[in-house]
Amino acid sequence: MEGMIAIWQRDVMKFFKDRARLFGSMTMPILLLIVFGVGMGGSMESLMQNVAGGDLDFNYVAFIFPGIVSMTLLMTSVFSSLSIIQDRDFGYMREILVSPVSRVSIALGKMLGSATVAVMQGLLLFLLMPVLGVTIDLVSFFVLLPVMFLLACAFASLGLLIASVISSTQAFQLVVNAIVMPMIFLSGALFPLNNMPAWIDVLVTLNPVTYGVDLMKHIMIDVDQLSREVYVEMGLDLDFFGIPVTPLGEVLFIIGFTAVLIVLATLSFSRANR
Amino acid sequence: MIEVSELRKSFKSFEAVKGSSFTVEEGEIFGFLGPNGAGKSTTINILSTMLKPTSGEVKINGYDVTKQKNKVRESIGIIFQENTLDEKLTAKENLMLHCKLYRVPKKSRKARIDEVLAIVDLTDNLNQTVEKFSGGMKRRLEIARGLLHYPKVLFLDEPSVGLDPQTRAHIWEYILKLKEKENMTMFLTTHYLDEAEISDRIAIMDHGEMIALDTPKRLKAQLGGDVIELQTTDNQAALEEINEKFSVIEATLHEEGITLKVKNSDEFVSTFMKQLETPVTGLDIRKPTLNDVFLSMTGREIRD
Repeated sequence: MEGMIAIWQRDVMKFFKDRARLFGSMTMPILLLIVFGVGMGGSMESLMQNVAGGDLDFNYVAFIFPGIVSMTLLMTSVFSSLSIIQDRDFGYMREILVSPVSRVSIALGKMLGSATVAVMQGLLLFLLMPVLGVTIDLVSFFVLLPVMFLLACAFASLGLLIASVISSTQAFQLVVNAIVMPMIFLSGALFPLNNMPAWIDVLVTLNPVTYGVDLMKHIMIDVDQLSREVYVEMGLDLDFFGIPVTPLGEVLFIIGFTAVLIVLATLSFSRANR
Repeated sequence: MIEVSELRKSFKSFEAVKGSSFTVEEGEIFGFLGPNGAGKSTTINILSTMLKPTSGEVKINGYDVTKQKNKVRESIGIIFQENTLDEKLTAKENLMLHCKLYRVPKKSRKARIDEVLAIVDLTDNLNQTVEKFSGGMKRRLEIARGLLHYPKVLFLDEPSVGLDPQTRAHIWEYILKLKEKENMTMFLTTHYLDEAEISDRIAIMDHGEMIALDTPKRLKAQLGGDVIELQTTDNQAALEEINEKFSVIEATLHEEGITLKVKNSDEFVSTFMKQLETPVTGLDIRKPTLNDVFLSMTGREIRD
């Protein structure tokens, strides 16, 4: 247990020592907020006015803000797993692997480390809220925190699994981009996904990011005041192969996803031939 | 402390270790030598639970390396050939992490960190980032870290590789200090054969097999004696005199003098100098080194 916490702490400690990383990783989400929020905002808002048939208090930025936060969680937690490859390259992994810490604790410690760093990065974006005109009340914020952490854990376990089977930094980045980018675009994080071809619909349904983003939107946006038309048009009525999706179902789906990946990553760490 | 019996390891069709057996006693320094590719690293990796043996049994501190991995891991410390410190962290942070990973009791952590840092003379660098350390300091910190959890067996895999002679000497001083204090068992691999001299016993491995296992002294004795290079005013006369008066293994005359091979040069020289009538102008005694042993057993220099 303590070994797991030590591994966790180490990654968090290193995050605070690396300021360049802290600010460097903020540029992408800010850029996307500008492009999608401000750039697309105007046309999306007038589109929704038409759907609702007139008077509508609709802020598109508020709609994509949860998406950008989840995207930040995804990118940061997956890319944090790069530390496993670096630890392997710089030899520190051997120090961890010959220690009496159980393999599952190593995997969990690494996952928690990446997830914590990702949540902190995600929270940094909340500092932009006044500028964007987005608000969140305190209760929602405290409901949001565990959801963000769960999501970050799910994404971190994905990164962990990728890092445990790939040995070079370059390959890791390529593979991660190839997996992470589609996950973002096919999740409704940046724009609503409606009337998609069936095969894309399947990918969207199986994508854990979809549910993470949806959960966050439901917590952050007052969806009840949206008319049914706008609700549907913004892709908030998800279904899982015909079954309507509930928040509990979404949470369970994400937990299941995380559990499977952690087991796989642990198995990968346990292979003696390393 | 270490018991290895009939250890075998194959990688696909290649047999890296071909059934070696040996034991290492508690408190012993065990030198483990061999040319590159002899199966040294494979053996160490198996002993330290990093690699699974194909067959055979290995016990460390009474625990089986395949069935009781965690018990074995608690009993051993490893000083790796490559640097395995986290350079972004300070010395203290590195050591504290190690305490947590290796289950050092909470109460004794601070005292132990101070203790090991004092041994390697890094007390003043406690809060410095490892990145700023010199190569020798990093090595010393790594040794300190390997000792933190008071391992029963310390594996030293090329502990002084890439260091200047002065630092090397220092590091050995530390290691021996420690050994005396804790009665630790040490398992050492090195390319520097003069360092291997400190071992109580030495094993030489070649092509996956253990070809020799004995004390350094006896290994060298097996080579058949010491070499004496002799110069006299009249080498021809001296040679005749030697063959007449003394029992030597071999005496050969060459341009620069006479080369003698004798069983025990210490005993031989004292009587020899008294009894030889031809005046001696030069005398050079050369004891066989581990390098000679290595060369005669493997037919290669260790650096091949």
